[in-house]
Amino acid sequence: MSAVIAPATSRAARTIYLDYAATTPLAPQVLEAMLPYLRGGESDPLLWANPASAHGPGYRARAAVERARAQVAALIGADATEIIFTSGATESNNLAIKGALEFHGALRGSRRAHLVSSRTEHRCVLDSCRYLETQGVRVTYLKPDALGRIAPAQVFEALTPDTVLVSLMWVNNEIGVVYDIPAIARGLRERGVLFHVDAVQAAGKLPIDLREVPVDLLSLSAHKIYGPKGVGALYVRRKPRARLAPQMHGGGHEQGMRSGTLATHQIVGLGAACALAAQRLGEDAVRLAQLRERLWQRLASALPGLHRNGDPQACAPHLLNVSFEGVEGEALRASLPELALSSGSACSSATAEPSYVLRALGRDDELANASLRFSFGRATSVEEIECAAQRVIEQVRWLRELSPFGKDG
Amino acid sequence: MPLVEDSNPFAYPAPVWTLFRSAPRAGGFAPGTPGVVTGEAQSNAARSRLRLQLRFERGRVADARFRAYGCPTSIAVGAWLAGWAVGKDVRELAGLSAARLRKELEIPDHRAHCALLGEDALRAVLDRLPEDPSP
Repeated sequence: MSAVIAPATSRAARTIYLDYAATTPLAPQVLEAMLPYLRGGESDPLLWANPASAHGPGYRARAAVERARAQVAALIGADATEIIFTSGATESNNLAIKGALEFHGALRGSRRAHLVSSRTEHRCVLDSCRYLETQGVRVTYLKPDALGRIAPAQVFEALTPDTVLVSLMWVNNEIGVVYDIPAIARGLRERGVLFHVDAVQAAGKLPIDLREVPVDLLSLSAHKIYGPKGVGALYVRRKPRARLAPQMHGGGHEQGMRSGTLATHQIVGLGAACALAAQRLGEDAVRLAQLRERLWQRLASALPGLHRNGDPQACAPHLLNVSFEGVEGEALRASLPELALSSGSACSSATAEPSYVLRALGRDDELANASLRFSFGRATSVEEIECAAQRVIEQVRWLRELSPFGKDG
Repeated sequence: MPLVEDSNPFAYPAPVWTLFRSAPRAGGFAPGTPGVVTGEAQSNAARSRLRLQLRFERGRVADARFRAYGCPTSIAVGAWLAGWAVGKDVRELAGLSAARLRKELEIPDHRAHCALLGEDALRAVLDRLPEDPSP
């Protein structure tokens, strides 16, 4: 006469990490490449020297930095002289956006300046744009469609005679949608507007060849591609020259665009990670896309009321974002303690606010909050995907069963 | 090796975590079960809803069930209430406050609305109580 329902009881013995879009582990060969520049090499004990120093060990450290620069350039079809090392993609994005606007006189109020970006960019791009708004720059935030897409025509229509820069990401970090960067880049080049691309989630996942794609500025991060945290790069095109005002003043390092003693070990790590990514690009992309589709098929075949966020026809291989009807978001995340995943961009808490990206796509707060971002990496196994799918299915069913909505008793 | 899911990675108060994960007395009584009184409360701000069902026998709660839609704290509140209510008479039920719920479940200030949800659900049961709740 009384029904007691019980939560699913299967347990995982260890955490399944499905948050590779937030960060990746250091690849063993990357760590090996870095170590001599931290503690000295076996045959060259002074490799920790300052790469700006004019002595033997300094020159050898400098040579390592330049090798890394060439490795980074090779991953994206650039020339080594077009790579500026930074502390990470947040700095690269700040330098690109604020540096370009400042160089073009926008901050001194000597000219009216306009910037185009989108509502679904990474927070560091949006916050850079907002800062520039406080300095008198007018910003247009493009609205994506329900699948998260921004059509090239939308970008071109937003341009004004005052537009200095367009800044868009190649792959969205929350929903994995891939923008048509080649078409946008060609159109902007024809119109003479500078183009910055945040390629953090695209590098190592999609082929990038800047000899073919006329992007002017492009941001990269090491720790998303099995390199160390705390280092990234900004590609700055030489022909035609993209000009920036430095945002970090000092000793004139990195062609005066980013002063500060070069962190040789970090830079060597970024270079090694890029070399590895270039080697593995095709293989990784195919395998990750298979895992993504496997997880989606498992979830969608077992559970009604799911929404796949993003455009299935144009999505990065390593990301799957799903909204679950009929469950509350915080309870959903808390019910999956053995899965390390995110509700949006790297939220550490189960109580995170609903994603502004999903809301920009038109999801209501409740559904946006009841969303999970699964992201896959080189170590993700089919077994982990199966286990994760099973856990999500069990917990969603449990929370729906627990809900009083639509039930008499 | 300890089970990962026992580790409460989001650092909920221990009573909340335990009740959320085990959810004793979750569910509902079959429609028409004698002696069952149902109360429901919702918090629009937090988009949560709690349904409490108490089955009375001779003036005391003989059994209880709950259903909840909401955060882990609101689910834990439902589970705690359903367990606590068993064996209580109407006067004892009426004496429960949100403050007591907060103390028992170690609910922090920013989750105070979850305790109020529990108090409201219990009040809703008491409001619908017939003069003599025994079947």
